[in-house]
Amino acid sequence: MSILSPEQKAIQQAAKDFVAKNIIPNAAEFDKSGEFPMLLLEASKASNIFAMAVPKEYGGLNYDALTQALVLEEWGYGCAGMGTTLAASVLSMDSVLIAGTDEQKRRYFKPMLNAEIGSFGLTEPGAGSDAAAGKTTAVKKGDEYILNGTKCWITNGGFASVYVIFALTDPAAGVKGISAFILERGLPGFTIGTTDHKLGIRASNTVELLLKDVHIPVTNLLGKEGEGMKIAMKTLDMARPAIAALSVGLAQRALDACVKHVQATFTGKTYPGQTLQFKLADMQILVDAARGSLHEAMRLRDAGLPYSKESAICKTFCSDVAMQVTTMAVSLMGSWGYTSELGKYMRDSKIMQIYEGTNQIQRLVISRAVLAPPPAAAAPQKAGN
Amino acid sequence: MNFELTEEQQLIGQSARDFAKEYLEPIAVELDHTGEFPKKVVAALAKHDFLGLLLPGTVGGAEAGFVSYVEVIENLSRYSAAVASIVNNHTIAAYAIQNWGTADQKKEYLPGMAKGDTLGGFAIFEHGPTPGVGPDALVATKHDVGYVLNGKKAFVRNAGEAGVYIVFATMDPAAGAKALTAFIVKADAVGVKVGEKLETMGLKGCPVADITFENVVLAETALLGAVNQGVAISAQALAVASVAEAAQTVGIGQAAVEHAAAYAKQRVQFGKPVAVLQAIQTLLAEVATDCHLARLGLQNAALLIEEGKPFEVEAAMIKSFLVRLGSKMLLDTCQVEGGFGYSETMPLPRLFRDIAGTNLLDAPGDFPEKLIAASIA
Repeated sequence: MSILSPEQKAIQQAAKDFVAKNIIPNAAEFDKSGEFPMLLLEASKASNIFAMAVPKEYGGLNYDALTQALVLEEWGYGCAGMGTTLAASVLSMDSVLIAGTDEQKRRYFKPMLNAEIGSFGLTEPGAGSDAAAGKTTAVKKGDEYILNGTKCWITNGGFASVYVIFALTDPAAGVKGISAFILERGLPGFTIGTTDHKLGIRASNTVELLLKDVHIPVTNLLGKEGEGMKIAMKTLDMARPAIAALSVGLAQRALDACVKHVQATFTGKTYPGQTLQFKLADMQILVDAARGSLHEAMRLRDAGLPYSKESAICKTFCSDVAMQVTTMAVSLMGSWGYTSELGKYMRDSKIMQIYEGTNQIQRLVISRAVLAPPPAAAAPQKAGN
Repeated sequence: MNFELTEEQQLIGQSARDFAKEYLEPIAVELDHTGEFPKKVVAALAKHDFLGLLLPGTVGGAEAGFVSYVEVIENLSRYSAAVASIVNNHTIAAYAIQNWGTADQKKEYLPGMAKGDTLGGFAIFEHGPTPGVGPDALVATKHDVGYVLNGKKAFVRNAGEAGVYIVFATMDPAAGAKALTAFIVKADAVGVKVGEKLETMGLKGCPVADITFENVVLAETALLGAVNQGVAISAQALAVASVAEAAQTVGIGQAAVEHAAAYAKQRVQFGKPVAVLQAIQTLLAEVATDCHLARLGLQNAALLIEEGKPFEVEAAMIKSFLVRLGSKMLLDTCQVEGGFGYSETMPLPRLFRDIAGTNLLDAPGDFPEKLIAASIA
């Protein structure tokens, strides 16, 4: 168990209470219907939790990274779909935190103070892992940009008030021609396409965004023209641990369900053989190690130290752990596992290995860091140049 | 040593593939959506002699060997594992009657089962960890004209659709599993109540439910095998069933890896198809390898069954292998397809949900490794 401050413990407990009251009782219903749980946003107003990453000067809760991870673990424990709604809203804010002006921050963060959500639109049908292959364009005309294109698999897209959207301002410049923009809901030409029906995280809203001659003022450009990819990558660095946190919650939930089932099944007797006991031990080892890797990355970030590699590591490890633990849970618990809520945890876990950078992309990032020359060797070379 | 299927085995496999393409491929998605029992498909299976595969010709069976049978199950599973599961549960019930039934029992039940007029179900599991033990156990009491059943069986496949169930009950709750005894119970016997269909993540269309038995009076002739022979019968029948279940897993895995390989060839990222990336090749290669090894292992066990040789250890090995690696086939193929592999408009999510139901342990605490470890000389 991680050593937390009294304040972090209190916030963690409040998140547990919120999840027990508002998320766990509703999770199965929204998983089944695939509807977006508006009631969640309503219930969040009192705690202002969608503003947990908003700095104090903008009226937010200003939680540090570790504390945000604690909250997201609890949401992942309750329902990874609903947790994804919170994580994706924070993700979109991260772009504005990284590159926004004071005015842009004020504007973007304001809805979050009222339990409204944001959405991050990078992916396109032909641009998944290869995020730079996007075709959406933004053409500058006078004091406006005009956006055209299609974004897909956009989390929160159907219900967000504010969006960060990536588009090419200079198609010839490739990666360096991508820019980031703030969009508001309801702009003429900005519409919601089809809603994706997914294997899991079905309470989270995943849609196509259609942009047809959408006019926005030049003041909606985040950072400078051509900085879009840099902003997107920094945003994902910041946001990836959120997926790790949801994953730890998922894995813990599956383990708890197994333990409860085993305890109920083998009442008053010694537990069955070492094989099951050791499998449960393995699950606990994985959950603890996953949580440890997440907290380590968050402590680095909170200390202002580089954490890009650790961010990729914890995203990869925690999501792999969630997949492994939930899969073990279904298999080990036999027919009960297959007909119980464990199936949802297994379905929900799969996306953790895919979205916000597939675990293959994370491994590229990590292997580059591993293979990079050590700083001591790199330093003289730099000086020489 | 010969790793080639005989011509006959290949032909039966091919006919199952042709059948699956014609009858299962068009309905698989719909079946997964509605979860309604596919009556028409089951009638077509019967018409094409897929419901009496293991039974002798004398009762109208196809008299195919077990190797052919697992070929059929794998090929059906490529298109609908739910339908394969219906066939397998039915077949194992018929197998039990064929193996342990009296001449009269065979005559009474098998012709209808071979023809597909009567579907079979196999009621072994209970909510407690060991059938015949604990407060939930189904109890059979000796009665002047036969037996009376009281209690509940859990997770019965083909429940509500089967006309006959092989039901395991303990004759002595104090003795628990040692007194486990098998009975043939007709679905329309007074006091047999099928509970609500349980929700499952996959294999939708192959119903699963609990069955309650309330003072169900059985004639002496309902006894299958001998009193207290239940553990032996269920162990062997479940082992046989698990080999066919492994063929379900392999069929699903094979369908998934072929889909993912085709996807990888046409999905362009970073200027080239992702199929050229080593990371993608590794994922696909490992799944194909696991599928291949699992198929060899299950065919080996199937051949032992067919030849009447001891097969239990080999069956346990393939189960152990697939409990570890079965679901991974879909975890990795979905990964190859990324966001597309997570969208229910694509095929892999259904296969993901199906495969998770084909490599389950019989109960928490029940491990195939026990038998394997004991067999190592």
